[in-house]
Amino acid sequence: MYGGGNIFEVNKSDNLNQEDPVKLDEFEARIARGEKVEPSDWMPALYRKQLIRMIEQHAHSEIIGALPEGTWITRAPGFKRKMALMAKVQDEVGHAQLLYSAAETLGKSREQMMQDLINGRSKYSNIFNYPAFTWADSTIISWLVDAGAIVNQLANSKGSYGPYCRALERICAEESFHLKYGHHAVIHLATGTNIQREMVQGALNRWWPPMMHFFGPPDKISVHTEVLTKWKVKMATNDECRQQFLDMYVPKIWELNLTIPDPNLRKNSETRQWEYSEPDWDEFIRVINGDGPCNAERLSVRRTAEERGEWVRKALLTKEAKYVTPLA
Amino acid sequence: MKMDSLDPRIKRWKLQEQRQEEYSSSSLDQLPTYEVFIQLKEGKAFEHAGIVHASTADMAFLFAKEQFSRRYSCTGMWVVASEQVWVTTYSELEENIYDHIGQPAGEENDPQDDFDVFHLYKRGKQHKHVGQVKAQDTRMALLKAKASFDTGRPVLNIWLIRSINIQASTPEDQVIWSTLSEKTHRDVISYRAGDKLNKFKEKHNEG
Repeated sequence: MYGGGNIFEVNKSDNLNQEDPVKLDEFEARIARGEKVEPSDWMPALYRKQLIRMIEQHAHSEIIGALPEGTWITRAPGFKRKMALMAKVQDEVGHAQLLYSAAETLGKSREQMMQDLINGRSKYSNIFNYPAFTWADSTIISWLVDAGAIVNQLANSKGSYGPYCRALERICAEESFHLKYGHHAVIHLATGTNIQREMVQGALNRWWPPMMHFFGPPDKISVHTEVLTKWKVKMATNDECRQQFLDMYVPKIWELNLTIPDPNLRKNSETRQWEYSEPDWDEFIRVINGDGPCNAERLSVRRTAEERGEWVRKALLTKEAKYVTPLA
Repeated sequence: MKMDSLDPRIKRWKLQEQRQEEYSSSSLDQLPTYEVFIQLKEGKAFEHAGIVHASTADMAFLFAKEQFSRRYSCTGMWVVASEQVWVTTYSELEENIYDHIGQPAGEENDPQDDFDVFHLYKRGKQHKHVGQVKAQDTRMALLKAKASFDTGRPVLNIWLIRSINIQASTPEDQVIWSTLSEKTHRDVISYRAGDKLNKFKEKHNEG
């Protein structure tokens, strides 16, 4: 699960003047032809850096995203829901593994990525800094957050870096189950008793604002990403993803007779674009920078898992085992 | 920051609150990576699927089974340490990499090892197994692969692996792949809710 939110920051120092112009031309021509870039190909330092950053953040989002849902496994209502949620959380952790591997082909080890996560040097999707208060929150995450992630991941799977695209194809196929399961669970609550309906409406009210943050700041205020678009690192703008999400899911929410907590939400029949109240971007920035309800808890769980598991990994290491960068 | 968690496990684990000191594992305890190949159907070629981290080939096999056959079944799986894979350069512009490789010069000496040969036909796709050759080293193996498997169709990249280094499932293992039929809770078809939804909409519209 992942949104496009917080990933692109092109620094002024990232200029391309140091790159070999002939190789840069060949590289750009390959991408323009629609060919994929493979790990051993020449690539500009900025391309490598931004891809590591993006894939790493995506991987972190998968394991951190497993936490708010994982907490509901033991309290899920009934055996079937427990089985489904367990399978889903296992998938998310498996996705992290696929993504860490894809990032590793670019030369950064998984262990290093984990350390950067724990030390707050690399980010994950902001939405997981919010807590899942009730079972209904967990169903809304499974449905709408995964829906948002699919919008983003389908776009990215058409990008230029071979290993990332291959990982995403596998991930998207698995996410379709998550989405169906989440929708199934939300329909169950929304068509149920008044108490169930209130519960799911409450969860929707809590998750709508972070969901509007999910795809990142509007294009007009987000940083310049022209070169990343040309290199097919960024495949759709934040606003394009948000519009697509609204197009697909607002009708599905409305047909359940649920209320979306935004009185200004409507589709403009002339522009065919959704209009909405601008979400609170100051809060978004504040939470990304560590001051959200769950930031400390999420990192503390990861850190504890790393620390308490270290002796196991040490015991497993064999003298002759040698780490090399994986191939593809 | 005080952690007042909604997650009952957080209290049980007695997690420490956010600490100032940096986390670093005393030495980088990164496990090596293994390349995983799967056979999707009986008679089909093995294809590269991805990577797992493990300390031994046995463990890599277990992880690979969990990672790559959890949702879609297969009929066979190979794992091999990434460092055991010998890789040619990638060709440019749809050139056939075999065009840059000569012919074997004369016969070579025994003893000979088996090598498995993998081709990449298109960037973005996975390497596919094409067969085995006998050779005394990778250089000879590459020459022999050209003699056996170069059909003129452009091959963009070649991987060679000494067969002895591959941890492979055997036909007797077949039963380990046939667990998915019991796991319908992983399948979208278990989550149909159209009837319930339509009934709700009808009722709501009447009201």
